[in-house]
Amino acid sequence: MAIPSPKNPILSAQNLCVESVGAKENFPVLTDLNFSLKPGKILGLVGESGAGKSMIGRTISQYLPKGFAVTKGTLAFDGEDLVSMLPERRRSLLGRDIAFIPQEPLSGLNPVLTVGQQIKEHLLRIGLGPGENWRERALKEFESVHLPHGAALLEKYPHQLSGGMCQRILIAMAFASRPRLLIADEPTTALDVTIQARIVKLIAEMQKRDGTAVIFITHDLRLASQISDEIMVLYAGRPAERGPAKQLFSSPAHPYTRCLQLANPTITGPRRGLFILPERMPGLRVLKELKGCRFASRCPNAIEACTRAEPPLADIGPNHIAACIRTEKTPDIVPPPLAPGREIASAKVHLNGEKLTKAYTTAWSPFAKRSSFKAVNSVDFSLGEGEFVGIVGESGSGKSSLARLVVGLDTPTDGKITLAGRDVTANGNADRAYRRDYIQMVFQDPQSALNPRRRIGSIVTQANEASGLHNSTRERMDRAAELLKEIGLPPDAAMRFPSQLSGGQKQRVNIARALCTLPKILVADEIVSGLDVSVQAQLLDLLLKLRDEHGFSMLFISHDLSVVRYLCDRVMVMYRGEVVESGRTETVFADPQHAYTRSLLAAVPPDDVNAEWSPVLAEAGYQVE
Amino acid sequence: MRMFATIAKLLVKRVLTAIPILLLVSALLFCILRILPVDPAAMSLPPNATVQEIEAMRTEMGLNLPLYQQYGIWLNKLFHGDIGRSIHFRQNVTSLIGSTLPATIELAVIAMMVATVFGLAGGLFLFYVRGTRAEAVMDFVSILLLSLPEFLWSLFLLLIFGVFFEVLPFTGRLSPGFERPLVTGFLLLDSLITGNIPTFLNALQHMILPCLALGIALSPSLMRVLRSSLLDAYQDDYIQQARLRGLSEKRILIRHGLKNAILPTLSLMGVQFGFLFGGTLLVEIIYSYPGMGNLMVDAIRNADLPIIQGAGLTYCVAVLVISIVVDSLYLILNPKLRVR
Repeated sequence: MAIPSPKNPILSAQNLCVESVGAKENFPVLTDLNFSLKPGKILGLVGESGAGKSMIGRTISQYLPKGFAVTKGTLAFDGEDLVSMLPERRRSLLGRDIAFIPQEPLSGLNPVLTVGQQIKEHLLRIGLGPGENWRERALKEFESVHLPHGAALLEKYPHQLSGGMCQRILIAMAFASRPRLLIADEPTTALDVTIQARIVKLIAEMQKRDGTAVIFITHDLRLASQISDEIMVLYAGRPAERGPAKQLFSSPAHPYTRCLQLANPTITGPRRGLFILPERMPGLRVLKELKGCRFASRCPNAIEACTRAEPPLADIGPNHIAACIRTEKTPDIVPPPLAPGREIASAKVHLNGEKLTKAYTTAWSPFAKRSSFKAVNSVDFSLGEGEFVGIVGESGSGKSSLARLVVGLDTPTDGKITLAGRDVTANGNADRAYRRDYIQMVFQDPQSALNPRRRIGSIVTQANEASGLHNSTRERMDRAAELLKEIGLPPDAAMRFPSQLSGGQKQRVNIARALCTLPKILVADEIVSGLDVSVQAQLLDLLLKLRDEHGFSMLFISHDLSVVRYLCDRVMVMYRGEVVESGRTETVFADPQHAYTRSLLAAVPPDDVNAEWSPVLAEAGYQVE
Repeated sequence: MRMFATIAKLLVKRVLTAIPILLLVSALLFCILRILPVDPAAMSLPPNATVQEIEAMRTEMGLNLPLYQQYGIWLNKLFHGDIGRSIHFRQNVTSLIGSTLPATIELAVIAMMVATVFGLAGGLFLFYVRGTRAEAVMDFVSILLLSLPEFLWSLFLLLIFGVFFEVLPFTGRLSPGFERPLVTGFLLLDSLITGNIPTFLNALQHMILPCLALGIALSPSLMRVLRSSLLDAYQDDYIQQARLRGLSEKRILIRHGLKNAILPTLSLMGVQFGFLFGGTLLVEIIYSYPGMGNLMVDAIRNADLPIIQGAGLTYCVAVLVISIVVDSLYLILNPKLRVR
């Protein structure tokens, strides 16, 4: 393999256009993409979903979704055009010179083959050194990604491993051939914060070892600016801004970059309001008709001139370009003032949990001793009137199990739950009816939480079926209209089905459904994870607005510490079923007392791009993987 | 190693749970058949027997005892391998079933093999041509196959290859004049063991038409399940990831796609194989094949209770055995089930 000279780019795109090829007309997905990536450099691709980030990865492999094709331009890998290249030649590059790391590590490995069988297949394909044994080589590769017990690992199946371990295995496989280009498509989105930090550091370490060029695709601008040399912000299939990572992050020139940054809550410093990007990115059809800047409809700085012609990518500074005609106005975009903090003076406690414990026991079997483990272990908590309490922790820490106990989906093995003065621990029929009027739950995934066969109007008023309040269709539709207005959806949405709404809209419907009978308490389980930052900001402010109007309190479960910091008055940190620290959010985050809280906070990429990110705290006892 | 331990565990567990199931089925069989308005005593005697003779026979056969005692006696005999004597054939039920069961097993196993080959090949082909015009054609063909029951296939094949072209035999297991070795009762196996090649070939020829009829009737549902599970598997990331590692499409299909997609197909095959034991009946009649199906028809026509009981129990055991085998295969192929 010839070592490319560091001057020549390993990957370069020239006027690259990808379109959805229809029978009558084509719609652009990526438009006039120009970039080049030098060996050993990391390019961060950032943008909301639908911006075309993943399409770039797919264009490199030429495994485009059905109906999409490159219609113009070139995409050259080390001087060879990947688009016009023979498929056999391209396939021989894949896995050897060009490697990929997927978004979902657990599903990236074949569930019915052992890790050993899969890495063997890959190693044999890329070829071993003379006299080299695949097993020895595999163990060597595992060692380089810091996977202990490599020999035992070879015998394991993917479902026996954690997401972080699977991702390490996939990284080991990707780097086994010393690739010249690596595409990592949201490699940490499905992982916990602490694991995310380790994986990102690992990719950087491996990349440095082999001098690999990396395309790092992420929706998290903060994370991208930590790992990348250069960042390209995509908006609706076209680069909005491109520049050196630190410079772009500390002084964004394009309003979109600035808005994205301000839509994300901070993890340090004073709390600030979130910038709410209105609406959504224009769809493919709209884009085609659009004359001016594609961001104009959402841009706070847009003037009439912006809608006339597409702004060219203009130089801002060295290697820094942005597609905006008013870049000098970008710093003027400021977040709205923070809603005045609520003083939770009223001591009225709605909900109280004492020594709550939930133990799960393995199913009875005549052949094995039953074992049990405590998902929730002796947790005390309380929730006051109008109070938002955040529960943070990694997966498996017992956050969701606690939520299930609170809403009555599970009955605690031990402890006591009091709801507005009544003991509802036993969870009998009367308790349930009582609880139903007080507590409603908002589920994580709106895709599966909303029945696809029911119309939105009947979904949001579902609670009426149990309470028997508004029983006539007329009354239900009236209530639906009110609810839709409150969550900011048009009235005609009531007659639509969930599949006709966007992800953000579905999550609004999900919240509206919980609010239908005006409960005093909401329990929200990861309701903003998996959504774009712009949508997340909209939803967070919607929750604050609705609290002002209806005065409910909320248990807000999240793995995203900055979101909890923005939204919640108090926070509880959970680790292995126990609450290890709790208190006022600002106090806990500014001065964490428990080692686990400290390691969680350290794992979040800092707001200040120049601050050092040292996520892996070597504090004993809190190794989670 | 862990796999064998888990399978051993499963076997023990399943055999233990099979015992109460068998007891329950035997009780049901016994009760239902006793409730039938058929008098085994009267049937065992010539039509001109007197009432006294019938009464004497009833006492002799124990039919005047309370039902639970009768069941106890029957069960006790059953444990000693005695299911009773056929009223009609005047032969031990065990030996009747012993001579017909191997024939049916042979038929069912080969038919299942035919169905598997057609089903897998058809499913892979359906998947391979997905999105093309050939898929629409194949889809049409597979629905056509699915909508024809096995006895129609039997008749078609019999008329075409047996009557019209006269290339294949279509009655019984063996043409007249062939020596019939007897070791295990499985004709194909026995003729191979004794090295009797002419008998083997002749028996094989007799198997072709009934097995084809059953196999063709079973294969379309296998094809369709395999196709749809392959389509499901191809939605998963590991397929995409295998492509991005540069593996060939063929390798991805066989090693990654098929290995996952085979699981739902396998459970369907288990169900089909269970049904096949009862389902060979019409085909056996059409081809005058001396198996359990023909025996059952004779037994029911003559209200021959001991045979019906014996055959019912045999069927129950067969289904239990098949389900244990399929579950063990599932354990071998699906590692997710292996860990506790």
